[in-house]
Amino acid sequence: MTSLIIVSVLAVAVLYLGLFKYKTALLPVSVTGLLAAAAMAAMDWDLEKMYFSEMMLFDNYAVAFSILLILTTLLIFGLSRNYFEKISNNVAEYYALMLFALAGGVVMVSFHNLAMLFIGIEILSISLYVLAGIRRKDPASNEASLKYFLMGAFATGFLLFGTALIYGATGSFNLAAIASSGAFESALFRAGVLLMMVGLSFKVSVAPFHTWTPDVYEGSPGLIAMFMATVVKTAGFAAFLRLFLMAFAEASAFWAITVAILCILTLFAGNITAVFQDRFKRLLAWSSVSHAGYLLLAILAVGFSASSAVLVYTIAYSLASVAAFGIMILVSRARGNDHLDSFNGLARTNPFLAFTLTLAVCSLAGIPLTAGFFGKFYVFKVALAQGYTWLVVLAVINAMIGIYYYFKVIIAMYMKENANAVAIQLNPGFRLVLSIVVFLIFLFGIFPGLIANIL
Amino acid sequence: MLLQSSASSYLPILIQGIMALAFVGITMVITHLVGPKRRTIDKLTPFESGISSVGNARSPFSIKYFLVAILFVLFDVEVIFMYPWAVNFRELGGKGMIEMFVFMGMLLLGFFYVIRKGALDWEK
Amino acid sequence: MILVWLILILLLGGLLSWLASRWNVLLARWIALGAVAVNFVLTAGIWFGNPVPVGWVAELDLEWIPRFGIHFHLALDGLSLLMLLLTFFLGMLGVLCSWKEISYRPGFFHFNLLWVLAGITGVFLTMDLFLFYFFWEVMLIPMYFLIGIWGHANRIYAAFKFFIFTQASGLFMLLAILSLYYVQAQQTGVYSFDYFDFLETPLPFKTAQWLMFGFLIAFIVKLPAFPFHNWLPDAHGEAPTAGSLVLAGLLLKTGAYGLLRFVVPLFPEPAMAFAPWGMLMGVIGILYGGKLAFAQNDLKRLIAYTSVSHMGFVMLGVFAFTELAYQGVVMQMITHGISTGALFLLAGMLYERTHTRDITRMGGLWKSSPALGAAMMVFVMASLGLPGLGNFIAEFLTLNGSWPANRLLTALAAVGLVIATVYSLRIMQKVFFGPMPQTWPAADLKPREYLIMIPLIAAIIWLGLFPQKTIETSGHAVTEISLKKGGSR
Repeated sequence: MTSLIIVSVLAVAVLYLGLFKYKTALLPVSVTGLLAAAAMAAMDWDLEKMYFSEMMLFDNYAVAFSILLILTTLLIFGLSRNYFEKISNNVAEYYALMLFALAGGVVMVSFHNLAMLFIGIEILSISLYVLAGIRRKDPASNEASLKYFLMGAFATGFLLFGTALIYGATGSFNLAAIASSGAFESALFRAGVLLMMVGLSFKVSVAPFHTWTPDVYEGSPGLIAMFMATVVKTAGFAAFLRLFLMAFAEASAFWAITVAILCILTLFAGNITAVFQDRFKRLLAWSSVSHAGYLLLAILAVGFSASSAVLVYTIAYSLASVAAFGIMILVSRARGNDHLDSFNGLARTNPFLAFTLTLAVCSLAGIPLTAGFFGKFYVFKVALAQGYTWLVVLAVINAMIGIYYYFKVIIAMYMKENANAVAIQLNPGFRLVLSIVVFLIFLFGIFPGLIANIL
Repeated sequence: MLLQSSASSYLPILIQGIMALAFVGITMVITHLVGPKRRTIDKLTPFESGISSVGNARSPFSIKYFLVAILFVLFDVEVIFMYPWAVNFRELGGKGMIEMFVFMGMLLLGFFYVIRKGALDWEK
Repeated sequence: MILVWLILILLLGGLLSWLASRWNVLLARWIALGAVAVNFVLTAGIWFGNPVPVGWVAELDLEWIPRFGIHFHLALDGLSLLMLLLTFFLGMLGVLCSWKEISYRPGFFHFNLLWVLAGITGVFLTMDLFLFYFFWEVMLIPMYFLIGIWGHANRIYAAFKFFIFTQASGLFMLLAILSLYYVQAQQTGVYSFDYFDFLETPLPFKTAQWLMFGFLIAFIVKLPAFPFHNWLPDAHGEAPTAGSLVLAGLLLKTGAYGLLRFVVPLFPEPAMAFAPWGMLMGVIGILYGGKLAFAQNDLKRLIAYTSVSHMGFVMLGVFAFTELAYQGVVMQMITHGISTGALFLLAGMLYERTHTRDITRMGGLWKSSPALGAAMMVFVMASLGLPGLGNFIAEFLTLNGSWPANRLLTALAAVGLVIATVYSLRIMQKVFFGPMPQTWPAADLKPREYLIMIPLIAAIIWLGLFPQKTIETSGHAVTEISLKKGGSR
């Protein structure tokens, strides 16, 4: 709880720092504040405290995901030096909006009441609608913002309708009360579950509600797309799982088949479309759709391991995405665009960047020695434990497709040449963040026990 | 059980809705098909008190107007929270008082931000 | 503990070599060579200490991810020991043969080469199936880079094909491993990936059959057996010399090793049921591979197809379920590693001299480089199974062991030896004899190349004349495996 307050106050403080033109203080203050927030969140470990007449519950699940969200934001801030300055004059607003979005994310992982879920999602989404449209002069950015807003509003409608129906069926917004209401057979309840599923699917870009994803990612500035792919996706899935685990677990026989179908659709839609992309950012956007599919696999396994699996997967995915998007930003800034051909010869000019991106892409593809392998392994494992062998077989086929397109960028970097490529300059922030990411991907790849035992 | 609601009890409403939509749709289509159509220049020009129209109807509007309108709505809606708080003031007690002050403080911070950013300077 | 060192030395050696290449390329090469050599000496030390190993010579079992019952479990028996000796032997030659050939980013090259070797070492040692999959995949990426960066013209396609084939089949194995884990947990309540636990688990036939196919597909793609062989000529043909050497000499052996170590002992009954098909695939591989080898003009592709043919003997032997055949398979793994490895090295040397791999453009090279020709002659003869050289022993044992299992298929496999003679002699004929279509400035072997060739020739002759040492070393392990068969024939 303290961490949530710190993040919210921090956002306002950053806004005012900008107002009084202390631009150099923005980053240090945000970073310190986030570190404090992460530390305060860690203090809540094992306390299991309820707040505001059971509106929020800071259990270990909430703490673990809050810390993950905060630390990922920290990594993204590490890359943001001199980034927003190039886009606009209102730098402080972007830090503040990202912090507000983060506050929304923290609410989303710690809600214990459907009303708080809604509030969390709205805080997160509204900040993002603005962030997506940061580049006001750029039509693509405008399109992204508008598209995201319309789709988001639509999704919120579904979510609210579902919430209302569930309230109608169970008489409560409280997760524990819903779980113990025993109204799982009623048609109202079932319709509510499905509608909430649709609403959340929009937010985490699960097919067939994913169509906004590539356009929005492409139109948004790289760093914001990175934020969407990591923090927003993590928060979305944590909320999805928390809702279905704490409130609807008893009715899993009913919704499991729907989730399974969504999972297959998402995997195939994401992976097959990604194969045909020749721009790296769009490729990453489609791959992020496909990762939503793998995460759905874990949600199917409503057992105690599901939350651990989702945590491990999102950690691995967030780390790899930070590296992949970060290098994409560098390359597209230096070479003019993010076409896969722009990566040609990167191994010669910038061996460190090439190595980092290789590692990140291997992690996304799920190849051993990287954290991503263990994430995939864990997700497959929990799904198999529930007997979804056929689903895992399909997921494995998709993992193979994934390797095909992820390796395109490795081929470009190592096996194609670009005679007039020059080395890309890295600022210290990038160097530090990318080194940390490389270290963590290896660390969690070799000692996955470190993250697998958290939850 | 006082309230017994299931999906099937909403069926009449659904039918009502369909009927309403169908009525609108059908009348629109039928008037279109049945009514005679004679198009002349006079009929197609916009009519404005008998004076011939000047300029484009879609003239730009100051964006500041929208900004002020939005800000008004925002602060107006926030103030609504004061009413239930005032009604329950006694039951909420000192804690409620503090919470409302925090809320108003946040609102004030926002208001100050808006002024400082110059969002309300019409002339700028 | 020594087992971990075997892997760590290679991993660290690779990193050091990469770092060293920034200052001094020669130092990088020496570090790489030194790392593999140290491993070779260590393994040879184990071998001399234990010439006839019974059971597990060395073992190490550490907890890795206790929550899932995953252990860092390494163990060494006679079979693994032989495989490791082969690995480090060929590994040293791989570093040596790249001494002059690789000048583009040599540090990264040696890093990849040593990491492939580390992955292979891990595969041969590990007794935890999760760890096995882990190492199985660790081999792939560096190999992919070896082919993709330092290969010939069509390298990107070849590297990609190699990677997709092996990775896809590997994922099926992962699926099978995971399912096995749950099936075992259901039956016995033990959550473990340990090989020895799996050996004890009784499996219903139907389940075992599906799980076996998961493993089988990974191993026969790697081997490669007949319908899955088509990544191999591309990968071998396009890889740099050291890459082809490691691919043909070692990577293919991991497939054979997997069949012997996992498929047969873990799923004896379904493996028995599959045996006729397995032997048939083997025979088709022998004949079809030989036929295709005969049709090639590209020397490296030709040798690649001979590998398909030779690996057919492994399939045949593994599914014959007799101890004799298993001995033959083990011998075949070693002798094929040496002889085909040597042929690729020779092809690499020829390429350095003539800059072509097209054998129709070569010819009459014996005059200018007799020593090279003589070396080629030895290994071509080995490849066609001349008595006195190692391959003869291997093929003889395999055929002898398969005879009781299936006479018709064994007879057909023996026809493969005739085909082998035809394509092998064609190599000699086209490259070293006949008219010279072009004059090549072909120098004879240099001292470094003598250093590579002499140990290989010595090894293949030694294996041909004194196979008993090798057979004794793997004897106990092989007997163990053959005792696992579901019923007696």
